Amino acid sequence: MSAHHNTDSNLHYYEGDQSKLYSGIMSHHDDINSAEAKGQVKKIWKIFWLLLVITIVEVFIGMQLSHTMPKALVAFIFLGLTLVKAGYIVAIFMHLGDEFKGFMITVLIPLILFFWFIIAFLADGGFWLHMNDHSPARSHVAAKVAE
Amino acid sequence: MSNATTTTAQENLWGGGRSPYNVSYGKMMMWFFLLSDALTFGALLISYGTTRFFSTVWPDANQVFKSFPFMGEHNLPLLFVSLMTFILIMSSVTMVLAVHAGHYGDKKSVTKWLLWTIIGGICFLACQAWEWTHLASECGGLWGCFTDVNTPVHEFKHFFNLESKEVQNVFNVQPLVAMQSTHNFFNYFFTITGFHGGHVTSGVIFNILMLVNTVNGTYERRGHYEMVEKIGLYWHFVDLVWVFVFTCFYLL
Repeated sequence: MSAHHNTDSNLHYYEGDQSKLYSGIMSHHDDINSAEAKGQVKKIWKIFWLLLVITIVEVFIGMQLSHTMPKALVAFIFLGLTLVKAGYIVAIFMHLGDEFKGFMITVLIPLILFFWFIIAFLADGGFWLHMNDHSPARSHVAAKVAE
Repeated sequence: MSNATTTTAQENLWGGGRSPYNVSYGKMMMWFFLLSDALTFGALLISYGTTRFFSTVWPDANQVFKSFPFMGEHNLPLLFVSLMTFILIMSSVTMVLAVHAGHYGDKKSVTKWLLWTIIGGICFLACQAWEWTHLASECGGLWGCFTDVNTPVHEFKHFFNLESKEVQNVFNVQPLVAMQSTHNFFNYFFTITGFHGGHVTSGVIFNILMLVNTVNGTYERRGHYEMVEKIGLYWHFVDLVWVFVFTCFYLL
């Protein structure tokens, strides 16, 4: 591995030569034509096709089925497919799946906050709608227009 | 593994001289930056969702986004945004291939794939510029449109799915409620896609800087292409955000 690294000692301080800390897929390899390297490229393209197919399915549902299917079901399908896509991008393209488990957990735990954000804010929006729909002011206007 | 060996391994791991998480400082900080950026985008999208939840009616994506360049009045819902999504996914693939080539120190491949990524990014931005121009001409501006109570109904009626009973009812009784929704929809649309487009723009600039460094052999002399990996993370994040923007604005 050392042959791969620079010989200029100043450059080591420049970025601390942190590359030597890596191992596994993140480390430096020598042969880009090796079976291992080719396998990784194959995997990248596989994920590309997967993302493309999911997107096409989403667009098809959005164009053809979203007006005939129950709203909640459509939303559930779209959010599910979105999370699948996001998972593949983070795990494969961003290589988070290849990092140490401890690091994965460090990055992912703060995102749990989103569960609460989404529940709290959408509930708030729903309640607001409920108040608006039942407000005397709105029924008053509606009654006036009906007249 | 026995307890004794685990303890020794732990001590070696956290005793200094190596990275316990096997990531460099710069890469870890890039992840943490992306985490904070995810919260920012999350805040924008959740406030969009909240506004939408308290609106009785909301513009229909199939009606708003149905145009394609040079196709005039043809009704082609979601086709253009699908093209934009395809371009961005594609540029994500070329970026990950550049990172892959970087792991092997293959300067030529890194150069090639970075170039494709830059081209993809510029194509995406061009598409977005067209879409913004088109919508601005439909709205009569970007932010803050549809605020005048005297706006004729036909100026925003075509953004809605008029087959829906609920929409018909609102337009019969209180068209101003629909106008308020249209106003909110476009304000959020321009804010969120604009913020995302800003990220794409800075990503393209970073990629160009990296391309220059790669061609000049800066990373080759440094002995590793970690910078490609770090900016790659940023680029994939931009793609990731688009996945959510796509769902929230164009599909749901």
